[in-house]
Amino acid sequence: MRSQVYEWDASNYGSATTYAVASNIGAKISIFVGGVGNNITKPAETSATEFVVIEDIAVTPSDFLQSVYATTSATYRGLTIGPGTGVAGPRAYVQVRINTTDYFLDPDNVPNDGIPGSGSPYPRSVNYQPSFNLYPDVYVLPGQVWDVLVTMYNDTGVSGASNFADGDLRAFVKYTLYDGPDALIANKLLEMGISINPGNVDWYKRSLLQAGA
Amino acid sequence: MSMRSQVYEWANLAPSGSNSTLRRNTNDIPVSVPANREVDLFIGGYGNNITKPAETTATQFIVIEDIACSPTVNGAVQIRINTTDYFQNPDVTDMLGIPGLASPYPRGASSDYGTTDNNILKAFDLYPDVYVLPGQTFQILYTTRDGCGTSSSTTEVVAAFCKYTLYDGPDALIANKLLELGVTINPNNVDWYKRSLIEQQQASRVAAATAAANGGTA
Repeated sequence: MRSQVYEWDASNYGSATTYAVASNIGAKISIFVGGVGNNITKPAETSATEFVVIEDIAVTPSDFLQSVYATTSATYRGLTIGPGTGVAGPRAYVQVRINTTDYFLDPDNVPNDGIPGSGSPYPRSVNYQPSFNLYPDVYVLPGQVWDVLVTMYNDTGVSGASNFADGDLRAFVKYTLYDGPDALIANKLLEMGISINPGNVDWYKRSLLQAGA
Repeated sequence: MSMRSQVYEWANLAPSGSNSTLRRNTNDIPVSVPANREVDLFIGGYGNNITKPAETTATQFIVIEDIACSPTVNGAVQIRINTTDYFQNPDVTDMLGIPGLASPYPRGASSDYGTTDNNILKAFDLYPDVYVLPGQTFQILYTTRDGCGTSSSTTEVVAAFCKYTLYDGPDALIANKLLELGVTINPNNVDWYKRSLIEQQQASRVAAATAAANGGTA
């Protein structure tokens, strides 16, 4: 039972390899295998003996200003102002996908872009505080593939002129990985309708021990 | 996934030449919003909209947990269920709703455009939550007293935010049951109700097995 995080930066932390803003704006970018920024070797999936509980997701915040700002170099609270757009920052959203199903929907039941960075900012600061917490958690059952997708709409709200720069667009995922016997217990708790968290897994273990004593 | 945390973010941003859009676009710019007009975040015709009014089906139950809007241009946000406004004045007359200064979005935003003088924090918590029962229509209405784009030189960007939990299928039935019981509807209580159903089933199975072992008498 292990607490895990994954941080993604669209520039791969300013690596020598560059990632163009223009070709990725408006597109859903997988933070794991999207080909932009730091990636991992294969899609995120759970094995038959793993259970993942996603507890938090966040992305670079944006702020809402006025269209009057027209200079390319202006910044506001650390965010680049998109000239004429009235938006500072990338106007980014983050979505969770399990197998082929998007988690966040609009009220008309159409999948949307996900959680706005202004609602769940990463990093959190005094200027940008969370309005959203991921509760109930998102469960990734054994054998499922999961992904976290970032979409940004304000290409002029990033500091890199044509390529992403370090810190322009970041995303963060916090999850708990249950493995082996703990994954079996997580499945059992799911059947029982009990929230899966380390406290309840420990409670189930204690109740098994008491029953065996 | 029958119990899901959801958010909806609205901003008065749309492509040049139109007031609203069904999809966010990379070339969105601010659109003017008239003063003192209630704008439905979902189908109001300003900024990003959805395809139809927000409503719950017969197998859905929605619990609205938070609403917020930009702490600028004297904005406020109201919830309307069917035709009834949730927030009222003490004399039971209509009001604009929760001011953005009391429930700001983003949290920590400045109350003045372009200045970094202050960080507005929330003074309001939507508790108890607002329930949207199966078959009801709901609206989140944004109103600005000052208006956006009233100056010829600039248009302000305003945004609003709604966080809710969508209960679907069996969980919506349980939510209805909790409502009948007068129990607060939240994921914990829905789980508690499921557990109590399982325990009842187990108890009745044990009782039946005991009765069978005793030759039909309990």
